[in-house]
Amino acid sequence: MGDTTAGLNNSAKSQPVEFALIAHQESWKAATDVLAVLRGPDLPPVPEDEIRNIFPWIPPRPICHIDYHSVMGHSSHGIYIDSFIPPDRLGPAHKAENVARVRAAAVCAINSGARIVSLGGFSSILIEGDVQLLPEQKETAFTTGNTLTVAFIVQGIRKMCELQDRAMRNATLLIVGATGDVGSGCARCLAPLVKRVVLNARSMERLTTLGQALTAEGTDVEIVTDLQQISMQVDIVICVASLESPSLLLGRLAPHAIVCDAGYPKNLSPSGELAGAVMFYGGLGQSVGDMIFQPDVHRVLHHHPFPNVAQGCMLEGMVLALEHRFEPYSRGRGFITPERVAEIEMLAAKHGVHLAPFYNAEGPIEDVISSGERHKA
Amino acid sequence: MEYATSLNRVGSPAVEDPSVTASVWQDVLAQAVTGELIAVLNYTSLSEICDDPAEAAEAIEHADGERGHAVAFTAEGKKLGLEVASNVNGKYWSRLRASFLRQIEARDFIGCLIIQEIMLESFAVASYRRIGEVAPGSMGRTFAAIAAEEEEHIDHSLAILRAERAIDPAKFDDKMKSLHLDVMTTLAEMLAREDKDGHCEVCHGACVKDGLQRVGLSTAELRGVSLQHYVNTLDSLGLPGEMTLAWVTQLPV
Repeated sequence: MGDTTAGLNNSAKSQPVEFALIAHQESWKAATDVLAVLRGPDLPPVPEDEIRNIFPWIPPRPICHIDYHSVMGHSSHGIYIDSFIPPDRLGPAHKAENVARVRAAAVCAINSGARIVSLGGFSSILIEGDVQLLPEQKETAFTTGNTLTVAFIVQGIRKMCELQDRAMRNATLLIVGATGDVGSGCARCLAPLVKRVVLNARSMERLTTLGQALTAEGTDVEIVTDLQQISMQVDIVICVASLESPSLLLGRLAPHAIVCDAGYPKNLSPSGELAGAVMFYGGLGQSVGDMIFQPDVHRVLHHHPFPNVAQGCMLEGMVLALEHRFEPYSRGRGFITPERVAEIEMLAAKHGVHLAPFYNAEGPIEDVISSGERHKA
Repeated sequence: MEYATSLNRVGSPAVEDPSVTASVWQDVLAQAVTGELIAVLNYTSLSEICDDPAEAAEAIEHADGERGHAVAFTAEGKKLGLEVASNVNGKYWSRLRASFLRQIEARDFIGCLIIQEIMLESFAVASYRRIGEVAPGSMGRTFAAIAAEEEEHIDHSLAILRAERAIDPAKFDDKMKSLHLDVMTTLAEMLAREDKDGHCEVCHGACVKDGLQRVGLSTAELRGVSLQHYVNTLDSLGLPGEMTLAWVTQLPV
């Protein structure tokens, strides 16, 4: 039947597409909300059980255009492509099908003329370590966007420690999902700032490699594949594991620990007890400039209690487009260094993209923390 | 690429002894025969408005081919000792025929191609292919073979439609949307979980939808594969993906 990759409504937009964001929904609630917006306000919403029947059959395609206006006065035009990976089928059993979906979404991006493409969430995880899975392209660069995600996680941890009057140099840091691209990037950036680092992941081999590298730089490192095996209480936790659903249960938390859940989907189980810890969602940035979505799906694509907030991986593509840096900035596991993080952080700030205000499932938390009791580490 | 190949499938394919599920196959075949007869009528009507004799001859050839498909499906029923009914005046099929006839009345050749080749054939190809995977014995092979034949003859129409869209994309897309709202709404209602307006007037007894699971099928899956094939076809014509997605989300469920 020829090329069956979805085209793009260029007639609706005179500007060329510079960036594309490839993403997927992290929950059926999010998927239902997106389809409800596309369905329009005049039609009754489709029940979630019907969405579960329909959604898996939708081929990857653009769902909206994005106009991004930076505080520098620069503008860039892009598209958001949904790979329509069913939120409950993110696991390894469906990897081949999901890779095919991401590839088809990537072809959509290439065909749209996008110069830089961010691979959000599982989209990057599927392609990390095997760039050959990407379709052949000449004029289009792909970035996982993970460098800016790491930047916002690190900024978030530092800011939260400041708000809580916590001395990072005395803290034990636990990273769950430490051997992934984001986890290992966080480890490299934060290890010099803390007393001790506990690395957790499934692969002992990868943990050992990362642990040895950090130890060689003078970090006190413990590696564990089982969170129950951690030898002492932890003060700061970063959760960036590739989990199919929020199912992580933490233990051995110090009183008033700081917990950053930057997973997509979220890592922490809603039923988990955090024993007085301060938990916030991390890896998120907020743009001072305008982000205009057409159709206006922004509020359902980004479920945040603040305007213009998005995942760092998505924002990285926009920032690179504004900079005309059409390059594979974040290339997958192992390339995120403190220097690269500092650079993308600076570029983002230049265009008015900063760390998002803190919030969690309960809502905004920054004011609560600022006005509440502070804890000495 | 068919996504969700393993998704929403109700599990085990056909029961080996088709007599156990005879009533289900009887209705599946009745719907297929009726759809083929509608195609015969549509192609015959189309042949009467073709200005180009070659196109008229091709339409007649297609009509003959669809008639052959109806005969083949009927024969498969007979092999199982089933009387396969058909009813082109059934509730949904008559609406689909009426939609096509409106294009005939307007002598709109392109509109006719869109309805028959893009919409109805997407439904036929995708659902036949899936039924072919679970139907027992020669019935399965017949569904699969007819799905392949239907898909083959679409190529010529796609070329015509692509050329038409190239002349004025906005006008073409408007026409496509208008026909989508009309025809695909009917197909979506036909494949909805429940018949809100009563019996379809093709199935011989109660609605076959509830029985599909007994043969390894479901309405959700048949609707899914059909819409996926339809959307992919629209992609291949060059229609914007975000626009066709919005159309599909607006269909009744």
